[in-house]
Amino acid sequence: MKGKKKKEEKEKIIKAEDEWEPIGHTPMPDVADLRNWDRRLLQTYKPFYAPFCDLCCLCTYGKCDLTGTNRGACGIDMASQQGRIVTLACCMGMSAHAGHAAHIIDYLVEKYGEDHPLTLGDQVEVECPNIRTVLGMKPKTLGDLKKAVQYAAEQLLHVLSSTNTGQEGDAVDYESKALHISMLDLVCMEAADVAQIVGFKFPTSVADTAIVDMGWGSVDRSKPVILVVGHNPATSSEIIDYLRKEGLEDKVEVGGICCTALETTRYSDKAKIIGPLSRQLFFVRTGIADVIVSDEQCIRTDLAEEASKVGSVVIASSDKACRGLEEASDRPTDEVVKEMAEQGKHVLILDHAKAAEVAVKAALQIAPKRKKEELIDKAKAQELAQACKDCGSCELVCPNLQPLSSAIKKVAEGDFEDFQKIFESCIGCGKCEEACPQAVPIFQLMQAVASWDTWKCRAGRGPIMDTEIRKVGAPIVLGTIPGVVAFVGCSNFPNEIDEIAEMVEEFARRKYIVVVSGCSAMAIGMRKDEEGRTLYDKYPSEFDAGGIVNVGSCVANAHITGAAMKIANIFAKLPLRANYEVIADYILNRVGACGVAWGAYSQKAASIATGCNRLGIPVVLGPHSSKYRRLYLSRKEEDDWTVMDGRKKELVDTEEPSPEHLAIVVESKERAMVTIAKLCLRKNDTPPGRQIKLNHYIDLYKKFFGTLPDDLHHYVRTERDIPMFFKKEVRQYLQEKGWKPKPALTLPTLIGTYETEVPVEATIR
Amino acid sequence: MSKPRHLVNILTGTKGAAEMKDAGPLVKTIKKAARPLLVIGPRALEIEIDGKPFIEYLVDIAKASDIPICATAHTKKKLLELGVTPDSTYDIIEIINHLKDPEWKGVKGEGCHDLVMFGGFRTDLGNQGLSTLKHFAPHLKTMTVCKYYYPNATFSLPNYRKDEEWKALLEGIIEELK
Repeated sequence: MKGKKKKEEKEKIIKAEDEWEPIGHTPMPDVADLRNWDRRLLQTYKPFYAPFCDLCCLCTYGKCDLTGTNRGACGIDMASQQGRIVTLACCMGMSAHAGHAAHIIDYLVEKYGEDHPLTLGDQVEVECPNIRTVLGMKPKTLGDLKKAVQYAAEQLLHVLSSTNTGQEGDAVDYESKALHISMLDLVCMEAADVAQIVGFKFPTSVADTAIVDMGWGSVDRSKPVILVVGHNPATSSEIIDYLRKEGLEDKVEVGGICCTALETTRYSDKAKIIGPLSRQLFFVRTGIADVIVSDEQCIRTDLAEEASKVGSVVIASSDKACRGLEEASDRPTDEVVKEMAEQGKHVLILDHAKAAEVAVKAALQIAPKRKKEELIDKAKAQELAQACKDCGSCELVCPNLQPLSSAIKKVAEGDFEDFQKIFESCIGCGKCEEACPQAVPIFQLMQAVASWDTWKCRAGRGPIMDTEIRKVGAPIVLGTIPGVVAFVGCSNFPNEIDEIAEMVEEFARRKYIVVVSGCSAMAIGMRKDEEGRTLYDKYPSEFDAGGIVNVGSCVANAHITGAAMKIANIFAKLPLRANYEVIADYILNRVGACGVAWGAYSQKAASIATGCNRLGIPVVLGPHSSKYRRLYLSRKEEDDWTVMDGRKKELVDTEEPSPEHLAIVVESKERAMVTIAKLCLRKNDTPPGRQIKLNHYIDLYKKFFGTLPDDLHHYVRTERDIPMFFKKEVRQYLQEKGWKPKPALTLPTLIGTYETEVPVEATIR
Repeated sequence: MSKPRHLVNILTGTKGAAEMKDAGPLVKTIKKAARPLLVIGPRALEIEIDGKPFIEYLVDIAKASDIPICATAHTKKKLLELGVTPDSTYDIIEIINHLKDPEWKGVKGEGCHDLVMFGGFRTDLGNQGLSTLKHFAPHLKTMTVCKYYYPNATFSLPNYRKDEEWKALLEGIIEELK
């Protein structure tokens, strides 16, 4: 909403009187304030829809058949309905992070007060670049972070309301809303992680964080074991505190699954990472955990039922995931512990310190009298698999399309090879077992083929340091560091879990900067070379060419977009403050960054990727992500690649489709690697930089496809762009294609190519 | 209406594929098409039917009726090894994005295709891509020649439990196309 009072309110929140940078054109933008930027982006990168179903089932007018030229009873067409569903998904994802942020900030404000300062160490002066760029605020305290989240929450109301029947009715306008709320997702993620860093004293201003043990085999089963699952470290950090206070840190094992694991290892290097989300059901079924503490997001909704099967007990510790459990927050601790230990009772405890104390005491009591089944060995697995009648029911329901039936039959014959491969590709849903009419315990059979090795993961390190940005800013923008590739997100991988490690190593070896987060950060640690080294042992942890940087959990993804913003700010001297269009335009045209979400599964992943897209960062997605229903694609031969030359203020048809797409699904890891290399190309690359980037693109293309890229002529601007190593064959190829040099460009920008208040001069410093 | 082999692809809607069990009607449809296209996916490299890679059956179909090929994922390399130069190289989503446009010039620059055959994809990705064409490309028909039923195609083979039946149908198509 526009208005004088609204403007004053915003100026008060962002402390407009502080003159750290001039205020840009969009302080605390409302839903439509960046609409023209979105429409310009989507003019090139048009929404591509793959509907999940033919119908709309959202209101009582329906069901409505939207096939063909049909519209719903409300008037909506199929494309707009897809935009609407995507907007809903992004709202769900954003709200999960916003809820996380709001909770963790409130929790820390209770402990330390609203004025607790945001100090990120001596190497991070440009803290919270997402909040600076979007809101125009330079947050200094936990209270400031709270204001940022409150603003985002208000925007969520508006965007979510647009999905009600009879509101928005245009696909591109829905996409603009999805982009808006996903931009704010990054604001909330940044607020959450910065609050956690200052509140829990997580590592910051350091690259070389601890290497921690990982894997179910790393857990000392002779000790009481507490498993923490989810994303929010409030309870898990209280558990560590309680263990430390009671002198029990070496006597009780604390292991985590999903992002709580990453957060807990940022708090204690004695904590273990059990593994990514895909190993949740597998590990719960082992019964190794005496107590399971759930918090929020990415937790199995049947966790208590599954725990009961193996004699574990659950403490739910978030009001977002109460799971029907009786609340015990105000009951005497010893009474609750007794019921858990003696009756196997699961409880809801919303007081984190109390949940921690109960978890430890219950684990201490349950562990000595564990009556859990021994882990299943191959002999037992073979015996259990005899029940399989090869009916194929398990295969029908597997979301990862695995050939389970024949593999289980082979287990019955003592051949475990195929089943081992299935475990490596298992996404951990358990639907196979549910469907089995013979009740074959498929997840227990996996215990016989799972490696009980101990792997390694580097603890998350939070923001990229300003000093690192100063060092790599120029080579990234000039192209001599060929790109920043961020492998993020969940473990809904299409094939074997170690594909992601293979891709990460390919780019680290080629001296890209590789960033990882979330379950992907864990998955890459689950592969060792002949000498027993993981990628974290083999590659440096600096944000520099050839480094592999684990920023941390899901919410730490904001540090990746933050790094791109800091390149614009620290290297190019562009002001961040409320200057979103200029910064996004800079990143789109000049920062060779590419996100990869190979196993994305949740609505959170949809909003993270969409937030990157608005900022001009392309994202490569694995095949499961086609179920998100929407991508942003260009058509390189047909589309208009005209940009403004910022210095000359002239429109230039570059004829160059870079980056080619903003969001694309690819089917194989080979295709993914070629696509990633291509999506790191930027119009601003210098000839030496372009040579390096094309060298990798050509090399990967030849390696996997066997020839020179068939679109190479689009990316060679002048002869100086041709990589030395391939010069002869590329020249011949260009000749055959009738290639001609492309127009020269000094400063590519989209500003000036669409209606905006931002002047072209704003792109130059 | 048939169910897909993998239930993640189950149709929630009104417009499902016609299940085609015999080679004759499929061949008639292919022959009737003015500008057919065969899109080959990476599972065609992994699947063997009676010891022969699925990709070779697909190549035989293309050769039998001079159908242009689009190689997706990393199938181009294998096609070149088989002595076949694909007419275009895209990933599945990219070629579908082009096919949506009735004004597209097609892989041979002769105009957009009116029949697109698919073989060798993950069934979930394939079915999603076919959904795009079902909803946004009324100018073309789609046909799958994989072992499983794809609800979002125009024409699909049924789910084959046994490879022998699938093989017989593929060989029937090849033979009748010649």
